[in-house]
Amino acid sequence: MFSILSKSLKTGIVTKKDPFSSRPPFGFPVIDFKACTGCDDCVTVCPTAALQTDRPAADRKTLSLSYALCIQCRECVEACPERAIHPGRELEVAAYSREQLTQRASFDVDGTGRASFRGMEALPGPSLEESAAKLKERIKGRLGRSLHVRQVDAGSCNGCELEIIATANPVFDLERFGIHFVASPRHADVLLVTGPVTRNMEIALRRTYEATPEPRVVVAVGACGCSGGIFGEGTYASLGGVDRIVPVDVYVPGCPPRPHAILNGLLVAMGIREAHSGPGGGETAPEPVSAGAPNLRRPLIPVLARGTPE
Amino acid sequence: MTAARDVLRERLGLDRLAELRPGEFAAEVDLKQLPALADQAAGAGLRLATLFATDEGPTKGFAVHHLWAAREPPGFVRIWARVAADQARFPSLAARYPVANWFEREVMDYFGLVPEGHPNTFRVALHDDWPDGFWALRKAFADDQPVPRVPGNNPHPFRPVTGEGVFQVPVGPVHAGIIEPGHFRFGVAGEPVLYLQLRLFYVHKGIEKRFEKLPWRHGLFLAESISGDTAVGHALAYAHAIERLQGIEVPRRARYLRTVLLELERLYNHIADIGAIATDVAFTVPASRAQVLREGLVTIQERLFGSRLLRGTVALGGVKCELTLGRRKELLMHLDRLEPEFDDLIKLLIDSGTFTDRVDDTGILSNQAARDLGVVGMAGRASGLDLDLRRDQPHDAYAALRFQVPVEVGGDVRARLMVRAREVEQSLSILRQALQHLPEGQALAPLPDALPASSSALGWAEAWRGECLHWIQTDEEGRVARLKVTDPSFKNWPALGRAVPGNILPDFPVINKSFNLSYSGNDR
Repeated sequence: MFSILSKSLKTGIVTKKDPFSSRPPFGFPVIDFKACTGCDDCVTVCPTAALQTDRPAADRKTLSLSYALCIQCRECVEACPERAIHPGRELEVAAYSREQLTQRASFDVDGTGRASFRGMEALPGPSLEESAAKLKERIKGRLGRSLHVRQVDAGSCNGCELEIIATANPVFDLERFGIHFVASPRHADVLLVTGPVTRNMEIALRRTYEATPEPRVVVAVGACGCSGGIFGEGTYASLGGVDRIVPVDVYVPGCPPRPHAILNGLLVAMGIREAHSGPGGGETAPEPVSAGAPNLRRPLIPVLARGTPE
Repeated sequence: MTAARDVLRERLGLDRLAELRPGEFAAEVDLKQLPALADQAAGAGLRLATLFATDEGPTKGFAVHHLWAAREPPGFVRIWARVAADQARFPSLAARYPVANWFEREVMDYFGLVPEGHPNTFRVALHDDWPDGFWALRKAFADDQPVPRVPGNNPHPFRPVTGEGVFQVPVGPVHAGIIEPGHFRFGVAGEPVLYLQLRLFYVHKGIEKRFEKLPWRHGLFLAESISGDTAVGHALAYAHAIERLQGIEVPRRARYLRTVLLELERLYNHIADIGAIATDVAFTVPASRAQVLREGLVTIQERLFGSRLLRGTVALGGVKCELTLGRRKELLMHLDRLEPEFDDLIKLLIDSGTFTDRVDDTGILSNQAARDLGVVGMAGRASGLDLDLRRDQPHDAYAALRFQVPVEVGGDVRARLMVRAREVEQSLSILRQALQHLPEGQALAPLPDALPASSSALGWAEAWRGECLHWIQTDEEGRVARLKVTDPSFKNWPALGRAVPGNILPDFPVINKSFNLSYSGNDR
């Protein structure tokens, strides 16, 4: 007993004051579309079709990048001959729809097949702000400052589970934000669902969703939960993203998303933090970024100022 | 080379045994000969490592493959036989070799080939509402379409319970903790468990079929996602299979770096598991401490290799990460700080009577049961099975490094904990050797653009949980025709059904955690 106490005193507090302060060496790829020549090398190497190209007309071309599908393998960064794809260091990516995680650029194509940037295309669907307001309205006054989370693995490889477990470790300590994991969907405000949803988990996921009381916010975690990821969507065994089965309120992409990102997604679901979907986000053209120091962060609502203990 | 082949030929009485490449032997036999050859192989001390089928195309029918592992001389022996398309049955080994049980039923479920003489021909992988006549791993199967549901088509036979005070406890597929889905059915008399039945395959994602559809270079990322906690283990097994198929020599530096990655994966998983075992007996101080040590490791992994769970580090032909001298020193210093902390953690656990009281003699898997079920890896070594591919059939840099294979004989939760603790010590030693003797030079060999046509190869790696095996076969155009993934969990899950009965139900979580098997790796 004494040794336990003295060890604990010696160790002190290991919890990070601000869990969002660190920057990973690699988050999601960031494309400088202005430098892109449309060679499609990145599209070829992408294992999940997160990068897609289209030819709507002989002199037109589009290139889209979806963080919902991206498994952060870095292949595109290495493959780009123009060095137009940079390793992004953005951590806390979350959005309210798949479209908000997608950016699409359009290009003019000349006679030699070389593409030159025209502009960013607007994608259908509401903006981040509109979606945020809608979700806030739905959960208004019902969640307060605490959140009970039921995690559902609807088919994941267990990578996301490892990182979800890590959010509860002494370093990230999500309980200080009033977030608790509960043992039953009947106790839960939020379902934290990882995917891809398999054929054999579809019914269990539906039933879990039905057993959850309103407002039953659903947070889809991971590339597979957002889109089916590497396992694909609509195969005989993998039905795809969680939104194919139940409505999803917040998408947390990544393979697997880091604990910070999962924590951020939950705070977005609570309406405490603003969603942020990386550069573009389906609305605005990305600012040109220089390798190594991309800073596309939007101002964050300081969580700690809301009276949460450190 | 041929000396090993000749020894194996003689032991198996198989003159046709060919050596495909070092450590890999194969012979085609007549279907009827398979059981006799199994007896011969088992009698010669070989163990059944995996069993699978292939669809050879519309005219050639199917084939059933038994892959045996030989310790001395070291090698994998694949004995295979053709199955005519209109016969669709093969002789079962399961009655004599229980390790074949789930493998043969999986062949039945996904290929529609009937294991003749199997004592239990109920579905293992397919769920109740899967219709008859849909065989997912046959070539003719339309894998990009949903399969219709036929509710109650093939109800899973759970053992009935009768008697006063005896009842069933169904658990899952959605569990109370943050773990993967699966269904457990306990038969209990009060607290003591009479039996445990497993119903898995909830997270079947069609991975083996998916390998046939993806370009082979992209298969590496799929391999990383077979079981997220074994990303390096499966990526290595896949990379080894591709490299052996292409006859590529991996640079020495890459072999050492791969060893570093695989040992780091072992380290963070073992430490996390030790903490989780403490959690499951409500001993929170060491549990928290283990979580902090694990977090420290994955944090430095992210800094050095770009990924907390070491994804994207293994490449086909080598590795995609680099370790400069400074970073090597940083990692070594981290390990030096970790070691005394880890020793304190283990001391705290085993010096505590309240802890040892819960783990000693809990969840015993006997040596005989482990042997019969073909249990592998850490769980096998805790039941006295002295198996480790790192020593027995070394891959990457293991042949050049010195280490011991810890073996315990208790077979209980304590033994599985101690095997992990001693493996952590060994991993630290392996890491120090590999980092200190890291050869200079290239870390990535160039690969040919195509895979050789109509060929096959086996890749293996001893990951933290046990051996990961990837067997790859290509068609006439060099595309992936079949990729059989064998995760250690597939062989170890049935062992849980043997270890739990006789214990009380509240001890189930800690027994389950002491095995820590992958649902995703099992279900694929």
